[in-house]
Formats: sequence, C-alpha cells, structure tokens
Amino acid sequence: MMAERAFRFGRARHLVGIAGLPPIARGTVGVIVLNTGLMHRVGPFRLHVDLTRRLNALGYPTLRFDLSTMGDSGASAEAGSREEQVRADVRDAAALLTGHAGCTRFVLVGLCRGAQSAHIACSEAGVAGAVFLDGYIYRTFGFKLRHYLPRLLSPARWRGFLARKLRQVVEPEEVTFGSVYPPRAQVRGELADMLARGLRFCFVYSGGIGEQLNHPRQFRECYGRRVADHPALRMDLLDGTDHTYTLLCDRERLFGHVEGWLLEQFPPTG
Amino acid sequence: MTPASEPCQFGRDGALIGMYHGVAGHAPVGMLLCPPLGQMLLRTHRVYRQLASGLAARGIGVLRFDYHGTGDSAGDSLALDWQHCLADIRSAAAELRVRSGCATVVGFGAQLGGSLALAAAATAGFARLILWDPVLDGARHVAELDAGQEALRNDPQHYVRPRGVEEAAGQWLGFPVSAQWRAQLAGWRAEPARVPTLILDSRPEPVAGGWSPLAEAGARVLAMPASTDWSDLHRLEHAILAPDLLRMVGAALEPAA
Repeated sequence: MMAERAFRFGRARHLVGIAGLPPIARGTVGVIVLNTGLMHRVGPFRLHVDLTRRLNALGYPTLRFDLSTMGDSGASAEAGSREEQVRADVRDAAALLTGHAGCTRFVLVGLCRGAQSAHIACSEAGVAGAVFLDGYIYRTFGFKLRHYLPRLLSPARWRGFLARKLRQVVEPEEVTFGSVYPPRAQVRGELADMLARGLRFCFVYSGGIGEQLNHPRQFRECYGRRVADHPALRMDLLDGTDHTYTLLCDRERLFGHVEGWLLEQFPPTG
Repeated sequence: MTPASEPCQFGRDGALIGMYHGVAGHAPVGMLLCPPLGQMLLRTHRVYRQLASGLAARGIGVLRFDYHGTGDSAGDSLALDWQHCLADIRSAAAELRVRSGCATVVGFGAQLGGSLALAAAATAGFARLILWDPVLDGARHVAELDAGQEALRNDPQHYVRPRGVEEAAGQWLGFPVSAQWRAQLAGWRAEPARVPTLILDSRPEPVAGGWSPLAEAGARVLAMPASTDWSDLHRLEHAILAPDLLRMVGAALEPAA
C-alpha cells in the first residue's frame, strides 16, 4: 500500500493535503510543508513531494497541504485576517498529524511566501521549529556597499542605472518577490521572542535572491547577534542556486541541508 | 448544490492520487482531465481545477489525477513512462465511471496531456476528445525541451554564471529525464482517434504542419481568443490562465450533457 494518504480535513473540511505516515516512535516531530507562492502543495518541480518522501524515509511523518483558498483547498467562510487564517490552517494540519501519527511537536517548512506563512504560524502551540527557505531578509548598509561599490567603476552599470531611474520615479525599497515585508524591527523582535521560547530555526537562502542578499554576513547585519548567533539558529547561503532550485544538483544540496538540520535538531526518537 | 470535490486514491495499491468533482445524483457524462507533464502539470493545476468545478456545476462528473511519477501520485519523477501513463488513464477512466455512474466519458488534455488522452482514447473508452494545444510531433517537442534546458542553464535571470553542461544534463526544466522517457517521447507521432475530436488552439504562433494529421481526419479546430505561451522560461512558476476554456469546453459538451 502506498505510504501516503490524501485527506480533506480542517475546521470546515476545506483543506486538502497529502500525509506521509511512516511508522514512528512516540515523540517524533511531524513536518508540515506550506505552499510556495500560489503553487499547489506539490511545490515547484515537485520539490515538496521529493522532500517529504525523503523525510518519510528518515522516519518523519509529513503533511504537504494547501492553505485556505490555495491549490485544492477552499475557503473556511470565517472572517479574519490572512495571518489568522494561516495560523488556523496550521492548527488543522497539526491536528491531522496528531490524529494519524501521534505527533505533538511540529516543524514547518516553507519557501518564499511559504517561509512567510511559516513565520506567522510559529506562534502556534506545538510548533517547535521551522525551515525558512528564502525567508525574510532585508537589505543592509553592508549589502549596499557590496552591491553598489563594484558598480561605481562600470560605465555600463551607470548607463543601466540612469535608464532605470528614468523609467521609475520611485524605486521600491525592497525586492520581495511581489509580497510586502513587515518592518525589519518587527521580524527581528519576533525571531528573538520565538528563539527565547525554545524554537529552533534553519534559514536557507538561495543564490536566486541576489538582489536581496549578497553575503552570509548580511544575516547578522540584518538581525543582530542576539538572533543571528543564537545556538538554536542555523543560516546557510546556497550560492549559485536559483530561487526554486530548478536543477537537480541544487535540490540535492538543499535536501542535504534540511535533512542534516532536522536529524541534528529533531532526531527521530526510538 | 454541487458537492465539494474529494481527494481520492485509486489504481494498484492506491498509488494514483486525484480529485473527483462529483454532481448531485447521477452524472450521464463524465470528463477525465489528463494533465500535461513536467512543470506544465503544476502550471495548469489552477485552470484544471476551475474547469473541473465549472463542469461539475453543469452536471458533468469530473476526475483529475496525476500519473505515476508525477504530482502527488506515487513514484519518482525519473520513473515517468509513456505506457504507464496510458495505463493510468485507463485506471482513471474506470474510476470515473464507478464514482459518477456515467456511461459516456470525454477525454480532455492540455499539451502532452492531450497527446496522452489521444493515445489512450481507444483503450480508455473515450467517446469524445477535447485536446488543448496537444503535442502531435514528439521529436519536435523533444528538441524544444532540449533547447529550453540549454537556455535555462545560460539564463542570467536564473543564474549569476552559466551552469555547467553536466549540472544540467538529463533534465528538462526542473525534472529528471530517463533515456527511456526521452526515446518514448521522441517516438511519439499522433494518429487520429476514431472518436469526434476537438482541438482548442491557443498557440501564439501557428504550428508547423498545422494540426496534421488530426485536422485532415476531421478533427474540429477552434481558436482560443487568448494565446498560451507554454515555453516561456521566465514564467516557469506562473499559472497558465485560460479565461475562455470553461466556456469553450462547456459549449462543446452541451449536446453530450
């Protein structure tokens, strides 16, 4: 029998997801994978499918599912903000894994907007950690130095710069793949609070967000030592990859990082 | 009121995953949505869902599903196999008949999903076919995919520096490709089906050779008002939109439903 099961679930039976349910020992964390952008639960190039199956093979129960109104999921008909909806959906997802695999602690995984959803849902009880793939990162003074200094001496870059300036009167402050970032101080404070509550984080940045992040040091510049140097936080920059890990060798690098971090921080019990 | 869609598992060991869009009571006509492959399967997910919901609201039972080695279904992406896909279509058509009670099943597919629906028409027992920009010449499609992969590895919007030939080998736009799959696809040449066939044409440029040999055999061709660029390297993660698809498919099915 196939080790994965398709479910319709949730407070309004409006969510659809696929659970991977290997036999597990009591206490093993469940891994919940959230939508990347507007793409359904399979993920870009089947990334979520491959990742969850690899984690199943390591002994982790998983659920990849569509948040309200995304993919195959419908709306819950509740009034409330998108943030409240994401938290409630993750509660429903956690309840499903509790019911079918006995998990009581969960790790959230999200790429891009999925990372933003994971950040929101980290406030939920039972969430013990998160893997943020191209999660929040803000341009810093260091970023601008590294970005603009080499360009100062290039006439071609100057021409391009002036042409862009002519085209756009107001340049947006952040390149955020179409989503609006909350203020940096808010994210920094929330990360610090969550770390203080005992959550563990794995940040992985791709080479595809070079317009936003151009050196591993930027993470500390952005969030300060209290967050960046916290022992429960790991940050890696997978230079050379693109934003959605299109090439197989890049996906392999990513999976290796995520698996390694999970095995170290949340080893399957038993 | 139309019942909500339900996820389902069928085929050997429940290895195939799909979504059934049921109707209240008995559905005289069912439609099987055969997905395209690779990233196109993901890009068309939303438009397939919209089509399925819309048709179910008109009293047509609809099943959409993923082939073995694709989407949510069991199997590694490298296990993709033409004959396996055709067998999966037969399984899915049987599942649709059981769930809906329909006597008539219409096969629908976009791009390579259209090719597979066409190839499986007889064995799956399709009464009609609706094919949206089907691939009719496998060798040409393989050449296009190879060119797309080469463009990807050199694309500055994806990579700061061009990626090595070895790093990009054996893949088509994000998916691994076995030698067997490549040969199977390259060997695909469409033959007309013995059932009424409608081609929905949304290609931005006319296809070399037209819709031969289907058009010569009597397939009806309808141009869609909005074109679809299936091969834009910079829209690999963007959903395919087809605002006229439901209206056109619904109109084509009216006599049958």
